[in-house]
Amino acid sequence: MGARGGRPPVDGLLEALGPVPAGSTVAVGGAGLVRKPMALCRALADSGVRDLVLVSFLGSADVELLLAAGCVAELHSAGVSLDAAGLAPRYRAARERGDVRFVEWSEGALLAALDAASLDLDSSLTRSGLGTDLPEVNPWLRVVPDPHTGAPVVAARALVPDLALLHVPAADPAGSLYVDGDLAADGLLARAARRTVATYEREVTDDPSAVAISRVWVDAAVACPGGSAPTGCFPDRPPDLAALQALAAGS
Amino acid sequence: MVAALAARRLGAPGLAIAVGFTALDAEPAPTLTLGEAGLLAGGPSPREWPGDMFRLLARGRVGVAVTPAQIDAAGRTNLSGIGPPGRPAVALPGSRGLPDHNPSPSSVWYLLPAHSARTLVERVDVVSGPAPDAAAGVRRLLSPAGCFTLRGGRFEADWLAPAGEELVAAAPGLGIRLGRVPERAAPGPDALAALRAVDPHAVRDVEFAPREEAARLWASAATRERGAA
Repeated sequence: MGARGGRPPVDGLLEALGPVPAGSTVAVGGAGLVRKPMALCRALADSGVRDLVLVSFLGSADVELLLAAGCVAELHSAGVSLDAAGLAPRYRAARERGDVRFVEWSEGALLAALDAASLDLDSSLTRSGLGTDLPEVNPWLRVVPDPHTGAPVVAARALVPDLALLHVPAADPAGSLYVDGDLAADGLLARAARRTVATYEREVTDDPSAVAISRVWVDAAVACPGGSAPTGCFPDRPPDLAALQALAAGS
Repeated sequence: MVAALAARRLGAPGLAIAVGFTALDAEPAPTLTLGEAGLLAGGPSPREWPGDMFRLLARGRVGVAVTPAQIDAAGRTNLSGIGPPGRPAVALPGSRGLPDHNPSPSSVWYLLPAHSARTLVERVDVVSGPAPDAAAGVRRLLSPAGCFTLRGGRFEADWLAPAGEELVAAAPGLGIRLGRVPERAAPGPDALAALRAVDPHAVRDVEFAPREEAARLWASAATRERGAA
């Protein structure tokens, strides 16, 4: 279902993912402990892919899983933690040891870079990151004079995911996605990525007024109840606290 | 969040509460532990990509409560790491929204669970949030020591909690100006009742507990909440 260009439905997560070559840029949706596409991340890890450029707007169990699997060469994020369950041990170790290239973003600048990608621009202007240490550590951010006024502004270079992975509560038979609560950056990821694959909890009937992400941005949608565990998927499932605490403890 | 929900009961019924990035008027659902989206009214609804929060910030039309890992005498904040930028000896979650909050004309409240010299420093290790300039909105720090406002480039005490003066003295890096400052009485029965009503399982305690204890409290609140549902 939900095939861009009228392709037939796909089932099976690996089939939905399609070929993901080493070095691909993969963006993961959700935020914090909400709606991380964990089943898709697991399928990606099982595929044995290496040297991924991972983009996670606000990461948690997704980043921990892909770091632990050794899939990641470079990580772009505005923040990674397990929230109330604790800090993210593999992420912290990777940054402290420097064994993964970490590119730190502000939330606003990462959104600007994805927005640029969605519009096929080279960069997008934002105030986010001015006066901070981020441009020093993130080559995607450059402080430049605004071409009209000369005022300093951050030019965020487009960040183009080859693949975006999402998990949502519901999809309709045409492949449009429905999200209760916080959409986080998912709508933007789907618009910025070359290819978008989503898993969902339930199928619903088509309701154009309630669509969160139109099927025109969704290349494949696969039923996968529980596909965000241990992160939550409101209103179907809260975060799995015990599992998240175990992750925070390093197991 | 609990304070905002309580404020609705205490005289600001029209207060719009934003949860996460896009939903700008959360309904106080009977839960605080289902994750951020758990506070929203049910039912799918169309939403724009996360434009509203950052636009409200840029336009000075929102108040934001944040908890940085470090805050310094000039109001700079850090949630990136301890050590030089890009080479953390101790990696923290990441700068998140702090770069967007600090220069904003909106109000920002820094909520700190402890008034400690580790958090309140002379200069942050990594600048996640720049020093607020003259165009910035109100910058207010709330800690167990009291309430402090950034004025003219340094923090001044508005009021102190009992024993606040000793806590301030024990964290001198922030250079807080005390002067003649009233001591604030404990919250009255109305305020406490409002807090209990919006947060019957005491999720608010999670913020102020040590990490292991916080995880236990959170799990316990979630269990009681599911039992109550």
